[in-house]
Amino acid sequence: MTLASIGLPYIPGWNELRPFWAELILVASIVSVLVAPFFSRKSNTLCALIALSGLLLALLSLLLIGCEHTTGTFFRSLLLSDPVAYFWKILLLIFASCIVLLWFVTASPSLHEGDGPEFFTLLLGATLGMCLMVSTTHLLMLVMAIEMASLPSYVLAGFRKTHRVGAEASLKYVLFGAVTSSIMIFGVSLLYGLFGTLQWPDLAAKLLATTSGSALLVVGLSGLIVGIGFKISAVPFHFWCPDVFEGASIEVSAFLSVASKGAALLLLLRLTQTLAQAGSFADSSTLGTLAVLIGLLGAISATVGNTAAFFQQNIKRLLAYSSIAHAGYMLCAVSLLIRGNRAEAGFDPSAAAAQALLLYLAVYLFMNLGAFSVAGVVWRETGSEDISAFAGLGKRSPVLALCMAVFMFSLVGLPPLAGFTAKVNILWALIQNGSYWWILVGVIGLNTIISLYFYARVVKVMYLEDSEAPEFVGQPIGLALSVGSAVLLLVLFLGWNGLTNLTSGYDKLYMAPAGNAVPGMADVTPHPASVVLLPDAVR
Amino acid sequence: MDFLKANLLTILIFMPTFGMLCVLLAKGRDAIRWTALSFTILTFLLSLLLFVTFDWNTKGVYGYSTSGGVVQMVQETSWIPAFNIKYKVGMDGLSFPLVILTTFICLLSCIASWNIEKQLKGYMALFLFLETGILGVFLSLDFFLFYVFFEVSLLPMYFLIGIWGGPRKEYAAIKFFLYTLVGSIGLLIVLIGTYLFSRSVIPGGTFDLVTLASPEVQAKLAGVGNWLKVVPIFFSLAMVGFLIKVPAVPFHTWLPDAHVEAPTPISMILAAILLKMGGYGIFRIAYPLFPEAARSLWFIVGIVGVVSIIYGALCAMSQTDFKKLVAYSSVSHMGFVVLGAAVMTDAGVSGALFIMISHGIISAMMFFVVGVVYERAHHRELSRFGGIATTMPVYTGFSIVACFGNLGLPGLCGFVGEVMVLLGAFQAAKPDGILRHFGYATRGQIYSLAILACTGVVLTAGYMLWCVQRVYFGPEKAEYKNFPDADARELTVLTSLAIMAIFLGVIPMGVFLFTNTTVAAMFSLFQVR
Repeated sequence: MTLASIGLPYIPGWNELRPFWAELILVASIVSVLVAPFFSRKSNTLCALIALSGLLLALLSLLLIGCEHTTGTFFRSLLLSDPVAYFWKILLLIFASCIVLLWFVTASPSLHEGDGPEFFTLLLGATLGMCLMVSTTHLLMLVMAIEMASLPSYVLAGFRKTHRVGAEASLKYVLFGAVTSSIMIFGVSLLYGLFGTLQWPDLAAKLLATTSGSALLVVGLSGLIVGIGFKISAVPFHFWCPDVFEGASIEVSAFLSVASKGAALLLLLRLTQTLAQAGSFADSSTLGTLAVLIGLLGAISATVGNTAAFFQQNIKRLLAYSSIAHAGYMLCAVSLLIRGNRAEAGFDPSAAAAQALLLYLAVYLFMNLGAFSVAGVVWRETGSEDISAFAGLGKRSPVLALCMAVFMFSLVGLPPLAGFTAKVNILWALIQNGSYWWILVGVIGLNTIISLYFYARVVKVMYLEDSEAPEFVGQPIGLALSVGSAVLLLVLFLGWNGLTNLTSGYDKLYMAPAGNAVPGMADVTPHPASVVLLPDAVR
Repeated sequence: MDFLKANLLTILIFMPTFGMLCVLLAKGRDAIRWTALSFTILTFLLSLLLFVTFDWNTKGVYGYSTSGGVVQMVQETSWIPAFNIKYKVGMDGLSFPLVILTTFICLLSCIASWNIEKQLKGYMALFLFLETGILGVFLSLDFFLFYVFFEVSLLPMYFLIGIWGGPRKEYAAIKFFLYTLVGSIGLLIVLIGTYLFSRSVIPGGTFDLVTLASPEVQAKLAGVGNWLKVVPIFFSLAMVGFLIKVPAVPFHTWLPDAHVEAPTPISMILAAILLKMGGYGIFRIAYPLFPEAARSLWFIVGIVGVVSIIYGALCAMSQTDFKKLVAYSSVSHMGFVVLGAAVMTDAGVSGALFIMISHGIISAMMFFVVGVVYERAHHRELSRFGGIATTMPVYTGFSIVACFGNLGLPGLCGFVGEVMVLLGAFQAAKPDGILRHFGYATRGQIYSLAILACTGVVLTAGYMLWCVQRVYFGPEKAEYKNFPDADARELTVLTSLAIMAIFLGVIPMGVFLFTNTTVAAMFSLFQVR
């Protein structure tokens, strides 16, 4: 472009914007949502429609552009685009659109007129942040993306203003979030101080080259993991999760349960796999420790999530613990950082982990969406979020109950439902790697059995208990979301092959060749001083 | 006809599912009942067609090729090419009798379900769905497909016990579900692990049970690094999965609960067919795929079998509830199946297969007998019964056929299998028996197991005769005076089962005709190495 020749320091060209059309459209829809109330009285519904069309437009732009020619780093290596990020963005946009639909079921009737624009600004903002979270390896950008996803989530969690539990949830969320993100920023600054770069690929190479593990390095890395672990809600950073899910309205809980966790998991995957690639998946002490750490986080999250879910009376709390457990399963896949010494020949841990994670997320999305939709419809009919409100649902609303049963059994991972596909896929990746990953296979197996009990409890309440409560059909949008998700879970199971092929087509993480990264704003030269806390960009 | 022949098994498996959809669309109680019944009849008739299409003259070796081997009527389509998972169904002497048994018992228990009042549509729909699951298990030749059907049959059973069961239905249903799932998870690990190993032998790997069991593949697998080390683990996991289903003694506690709470027709299906899925799994998967482990771990399996026989019989003897007694007698009888597998002799395995069929008929009859009297008396306390023979003479006659079949009276089908298994057990002590030949067993071990198993026969006679005496004989009691004798519907079920019990007792070749070739073929696998 000619503008660049005028002498401005940096103007991105069109080809650099190309992979990020979806994000741009999201920004445009945020602006439209903010402006819309000036032109309409019924701003809630209008904003919902604008948000929905913005999301769908963004989705369309992604589908039109494709990801064949857009892999690489952009904006002086601040952002990147690769098939994994592309696939995630598609999932996220589909999911966010469904959340807007769910909003019509759960929040729309009781929401104060005029609150809509705020809600959708926050929702779209968080979505944008989650898009960016998986599109970067630059630590500064990473911190910003996480904050961009988190800050709107804090507000969304407390959006039911008159709801005391909601306020408490929001406060809890923001306190936890503030502490963990400050720890993360502290960690990132230490890492920058140690290695003089914010580009993770460069940093990873230097990190692995360090033979003496300094305390600073350990603190720095742990800080980073704490920050991401909080977003994943891995045990022991999970305490916020059940309270927030309980306090937030149903569509927000649904959104957080999949979107926020998925983005953080993929971010963790990208960081750890870049590190593993730099160490060529060899069993070094750094990688080994990291793999054990993540595997342990996964195993503990799954076990704690599933056992704690036993005692829940509130469906949203139950689903919160269930989401902790599922994050645990997915963390097990992320722990594929070293080639096991009995791994199959030609086994690529990075691709296997990415594929397992993407497939799991794709299926998990619909399981949770469906479960929350049913919860939303039931809440709308009965005004209760307790599991006891589901009593006799098998007779009161057979279709809805059948859907809920499908979601519950799919969450357990029983055939013929796609939850089974997703679980087997993770097991398959772990078993292919062999060695110590067999332990994780055992852990997941045991957890499946534990989890059956509380998922089946919901089914039991629906079918085995009687209730005098009146029959109902259910709000049409909610019903459509539930039935659609349930049918899709069955179809995805039967179309297992298509699902596998689809996800294996998008399992390549872009790895910037270390040291060759285009000099970004923050990386003109590695700084000679060993501790420099201010990034170059800021100075 | 060609179309039918090529697709018969698939049509057979999914016919009940189609019936389920029709039931869901049907309106009115009678319409639902008749739709369900006509679909079970249709499925039964379709399964009878198998007699026409089955090639009786095959003398192939298990697993050499799909067309010439003992596995027949194979239909195969790719399902998940990424993992080389196929939709592959087929039939051999192992599955044929079990398929006929399934369609037959399902038909009878559909008749037995006639007076279900509560949520009839849901009941019939789940019932038909269950039949699909069971037929799928017996007919799939792909490990993965087998697993899927194995799990699919869990779900309807959970609801059938949980919704239509007795007072403690919720407890019984979840217990059944949890126990079986524990086994299934182990089986899932075996499934994925076996596939992983098969990838180093066959390009792309395979889940095909026939290929995996074939001697060439087994020989190649033995050459792969850790195969021989993991085989005992895989075998144990798979066996635990199947033994839970059978159920053998340390894993049996779900069965009495499930039976006591389940409604009569579901008890019939549970005892007659669902337990056989475990036995079938042992002979279809655990033994052919892991013969080395089957040989080296035979003693443990044998002990499990013998303990089941004796412990089950002792438990049955001490029951006060009629239905629980029958449930424990199932544990005892299925112990013979496990023992027959453990000793790895021709007679032992044939006997075990025969017991699977005969127990299918007799246990269904026993549970129906219990159901008939429960419907009238509304209790099952053995000590409160007595003198029913005078008020319900016809019913008592059939009951006694069932009870004597259960205790193994010669001339009824319970006898043949048990004798075969015991014969097989003693045969194993011969120096050319597989176990002795490979040096895994001493004569003392085999004799001690066999002799202990014989005591089970005596115990069975003990509790069955005592039961007959307490329920049917003795002085006439006032409270049972007005009981009507068995009606036409009940007589239909009882007569059909009694005919089969006597037929197979007199002409056991009715089953051996199917199984002989297959058992011979299976033994050719065990003896390769």
